[in-house]
Amino acid sequence: MMIPLLILTLVSLLCSSLAFDLKGRVVWNEICPGIGDLGQAKVVLDNGNLYGSVTRNGQFVIPEVPSGTYILSVVAHDHAFERLRIDVLDTDTLPEVRPYVPGTPLSPPSPVTLPYPITLIPRARYDYYTPQESFNLVGMFQNPMMLLMLGTGVLMLAMPYIMKNMDPEVLQEFKERQAKITDIQSSIQNGDLKTGLSAMMGGEEKTSPAPAPKPQASAARNRGKNKRR
Amino acid sequence: MLTIVRFLWASFAIWTAYALHPSEAGVVDWHKALLGVPLTRPDFHRTTGAHGATRSVVLTATSNNVIGAVHPENGTVAWRYLFEDRDPVVGYKAYNDRLATLSGPGGATFRILDVNSGHLLHELHLHSADSGRLFEPVNLGVAIAFDDSDKSKDTFVLTNGHTLRRINGKSGDIVWGWTSPDQTSLVVYSKVVTTSDAIYLIGLAKSFASYTVHVSAISPDNGELLSDADVPSSIINGPQGLIVVSHEGTRGKSVRLAWLEQARIHSVALTPQLKDKPTIKKGSAYLQVHDIGLQEKGLFVATKEDGSGRVIRFSEDGALKVFWEFADSSPKYTESTYAGGLDKDGWPYIARVYWSHVFRQASAHVLAPHLAEGKGLVTGFTFPFETQKHGIIANVAVDAANPEEFRVLSRLVLTTTTGAVQLWQQDQHQWTREESLADIRVAEMVELPEPQLVASQVGIEETESFGARLRRQLADAQDFPQYAINFAKRFATGSYASASSSIAPASNDTSPLSRDTFGFRKIIVAATSHGKVFGIDSANGEIIWSRVFGLGWAAEVGGRIFPLKIFTTRTVSDGDTPQVVIVGQRKADNSLVDTVAFHIDALTGEDVSGTSIGQDILQGQDVIAGALVEAYLFQDGPTKYVVLLDEYLQVHLFPDTPENADSFHKVAPSIHLPLRTGTAGSHRLGGHKVSPEKEFTGRHIAYPIWTASLPPNEDVRSIVTRPHEPVASLGKVLGNRTTLYKYLNPGVVVVLTSTSTPSGPATSCGVYVIDGTKGTILYHANLPAAGGVCDVKAAFTENWLVYHYYDDGSANADQAKSYRMVSLEFYEGSGVDDKTSSSDLSAYSNDTTRISVYEQSYVFPRGISTITTTSTKFGITVKDILVAGNNHQVQSFPRRFLDPRRPNRKPTAEEQEEWLIQYDPLLPDDPKRVLSHRYQVARIRKIITSPALLESTSLVFGYGVDLFFTRVAPSKTFDVLNENFNKAQLVLTVAGLALAIVITKPMVRRKRLRERWYAS
Repeated sequence: MMIPLLILTLVSLLCSSLAFDLKGRVVWNEICPGIGDLGQAKVVLDNGNLYGSVTRNGQFVIPEVPSGTYILSVVAHDHAFERLRIDVLDTDTLPEVRPYVPGTPLSPPSPVTLPYPITLIPRARYDYYTPQESFNLVGMFQNPMMLLMLGTGVLMLAMPYIMKNMDPEVLQEFKERQAKITDIQSSIQNGDLKTGLSAMMGGEEKTSPAPAPKPQASAARNRGKNKRR
Repeated sequence: MLTIVRFLWASFAIWTAYALHPSEAGVVDWHKALLGVPLTRPDFHRTTGAHGATRSVVLTATSNNVIGAVHPENGTVAWRYLFEDRDPVVGYKAYNDRLATLSGPGGATFRILDVNSGHLLHELHLHSADSGRLFEPVNLGVAIAFDDSDKSKDTFVLTNGHTLRRINGKSGDIVWGWTSPDQTSLVVYSKVVTTSDAIYLIGLAKSFASYTVHVSAISPDNGELLSDADVPSSIINGPQGLIVVSHEGTRGKSVRLAWLEQARIHSVALTPQLKDKPTIKKGSAYLQVHDIGLQEKGLFVATKEDGSGRVIRFSEDGALKVFWEFADSSPKYTESTYAGGLDKDGWPYIARVYWSHVFRQASAHVLAPHLAEGKGLVTGFTFPFETQKHGIIANVAVDAANPEEFRVLSRLVLTTTTGAVQLWQQDQHQWTREESLADIRVAEMVELPEPQLVASQVGIEETESFGARLRRQLADAQDFPQYAINFAKRFATGSYASASSSIAPASNDTSPLSRDTFGFRKIIVAATSHGKVFGIDSANGEIIWSRVFGLGWAAEVGGRIFPLKIFTTRTVSDGDTPQVVIVGQRKADNSLVDTVAFHIDALTGEDVSGTSIGQDILQGQDVIAGALVEAYLFQDGPTKYVVLLDEYLQVHLFPDTPENADSFHKVAPSIHLPLRTGTAGSHRLGGHKVSPEKEFTGRHIAYPIWTASLPPNEDVRSIVTRPHEPVASLGKVLGNRTTLYKYLNPGVVVVLTSTSTPSGPATSCGVYVIDGTKGTILYHANLPAAGGVCDVKAAFTENWLVYHYYDDGSANADQAKSYRMVSLEFYEGSGVDDKTSSSDLSAYSNDTTRISVYEQSYVFPRGISTITTTSTKFGITVKDILVAGNNHQVQSFPRRFLDPRRPNRKPTAEEQEEWLIQYDPLLPDDPKRVLSHRYQVARIRKIITSPALLESTSLVFGYGVDLFFTRVAPSKTFDVLNENFNKAQLVLTVAGLALAIVITKPMVRRKRLRERWYAS
């Protein structure tokens, strides 16, 4: 009886000295709360010749890894994991785990080492869809261009009435200002920037003490209203 | 300024990114999850939930190396577990809520899955794959048994034919292991039986002309050998004839081993001391014993020489007794299939299913041994199994219920030789799963004809009188107001055919097959290796028609047909219904190989050649009496025919009509064929020409004109040719207004090779681009063979080659290990504006080798199983690369990122004009470009693409274990109105403007009037 057991232990000893069983765990988090979310996933070294499957409690074992340097990645359908660099050593010490950025050279290795057994954290859940833009009336009118258009439309329609109800003085002032604006516009159009600019300056100078007449304007409007009565 | 440009770039990149909207998922695409063709008998497995409710699943292990569970109510997949290719399933067993599996050589890996969800609970590596012993069949030497004596959930696992382990059910650790002391001897164990006293390992030891039964009893507590005995016996036909029946009696579980020896059933009781002597059951002579899965209930079936089956029961007193005889067998019936099942109270039932040649119906008899006061009750029924559609019943599983006394309701799961899985509830058909679709060998998308419009008056205008015509036109015109209203309504509110809407027909639609507005709907003709060809609607994946391949003369000896090629020999644009030709290899069971061709109507599946009768089996034509080397489709004007080359490079035509022969005779002198010839491991590549005149055999012969000068240990793995697609532009205009002319020599092929030491693994892999007319090597790359395997995948279109491989960093010590994708473009001449007209150049011109190559290598995120490019009607749309990744996704990679002319610095203004972006070794892995989105599209083996009527859109069909179909628009759907086009906004704006005009017009008029009056 002892002989078979002896052989078994010998064989297992032989295996352990030749290769190493790489152990680790996937930590469930809010991105991936469990195996039902993760689905059938495996942890692979390099191009997948050596691999271990993720079990329900998140653990995995990659059996019989010979010594060498490997890139560890997780093959999962919906979740992104980081990649790790694993150095399995010839000696009896534990393997070295380091972060790895895809596309970077393997040497020199990163100075940061991570603890063993390996812990893998789901980093992101793939989002496959782009939201669809749908038609909505309110949204359409929230567009600044639309608002501007609407505002101009309303102004255009309302202009004759405003003009009609305006005080003659204010109207005069308004007309003057408008004339100035058309002046500037025409000068800019003609390429005569200088006059345009000076006109603008002049206009600003003139309009700078403007805030004062505001109450007057309201008074004038009141007056106008009174007049109509 | 630069930042603004960059911002614009970024926004453009976002804008061009094609991605699926959530509402389009499942509308523009479909996915069929499959398991594969069951290898063995499926099993009904019932579990009891927390509240005493039971639920059952049908468990099966398939030829696609998948273990899956199907809901018996509707035939949908409950779960599946995919095993790696090098980790084949060799055994599985379900017990209560868990399923134990053994996979790999000799059972190297042990897994426990949850039987209701398929979640992996434990995975345990038992031995290395190299030390696994290979047996034939693979399930020899492995066995699983559960410890049913207590609730420990421990499992006993036999692997490699000589190692037994007890595995803890909670932690998944090994409790103890026992290895046979003489593993070099000839004893191979193949069965494990558990009792509370001992674990019995039953195996066969090889003696001179037969096998001897060998039994070992092992202590379940510590794995010590209790006793070991050779049972005097002589078994001829291996371990299939060993049956272990057990019976749960008052004194515990008693176990008896039975086997067939010299037409008599011998049996021996198994006790921990193994002292019992075999006894011979007297009576009838038996031909065979069948394990029907009820060994634990003490039941099995033995068939007599006349074909009648007897149910044999291990009775209370420890003897084997005949319980029932299924008589009534005659040559009018096929051989019966037996199966056992349990109802929800655990009572056993035995079903016998056979096919009657006379009634052309299948019959089932279900025996309930416990009913009729223990005498047994048989319920029989016939059911209309369609043998010409599904072949022959291969395996049966039964599940039964006994709602009232003398009434047994049963449901049968049948698997057939064509790979169908069916569930019948009594004589009612419930569902069918066509699992052979998980093994499609060739597939092609065939265009559908336009919808037929009914025109009743066509042709009668000439003859009808004036009055009649007036009456008819008035009658037609009376619908006009209605039409006008409808038109206005449609104009204002109606939607247009959208490129992202569903094209599936309504479920009650009975109109004939026709294409939709944009030609998205096609018929997918797919031929499987299980002797069946399907016509699949690309709109929703429904099977429109299916036909079973006939075996021709081999029907008498049996055989299989492996489809190799499929060609569309007539399309809708040729003016009639489309036709396809499937070329296959028939391997008869007497080892003769023939090449056969099946000529089918793609819309109905009807045989075009007319040799098969009605909807019966589809008969093919034997084209070559021998193996096929290569087959091509030739087009000469409107006629298309298939040219086949046999092993002697003789040319065969199909259909072999005089017109086709004439047409081929005319073009024969100008044909150049690069062919891959030779035996496995030493394939060669050679260029061939076809003899202009027929040889004395009456056939043209291809003769070699060049051989590729590859090293002798380099094996040609495959040849990748360019698809026959239109090329929209012959050159590429650069930012500085110069032109690079594409190298479009029609004879160019890509050759993938592997170099290996004799009988060793591959040491390196090669990619060659070779001019197929004269054998000039235009490009060559040596790639590392990671793990001694060459797994290079390549896609080639126009002047663009993309290949994918794994770089293990062996070439350079500090180089990164990663998957690589290399993108190459070939241009004419030595640089810009150097035109050699390569597409029309004579094969003998020196200019054919004057090319310039642009090449860039990228780090690819993952391994892939197949690669292809999109294809569109005129080839104007940019081509994307489609890959099936090892994480069960189908993903597209845009050409812009794979452009080999991406500069290694910041792009100049000229390069920006060409939309070139700076080179970055890392290809972005964008989940928005995963075409298969949330679908787990398992193991896609090949992706085929086909143009739609819309230039912007390409149809994509991937097959492997699963089927997946979608459509992609690499440059967005530029030829239809944008999905986001806001018709309501347009209508509203126009209406608003019209309203504004209506309102302001009188105002303006009044104002003008007033101005005239008060004009100063």
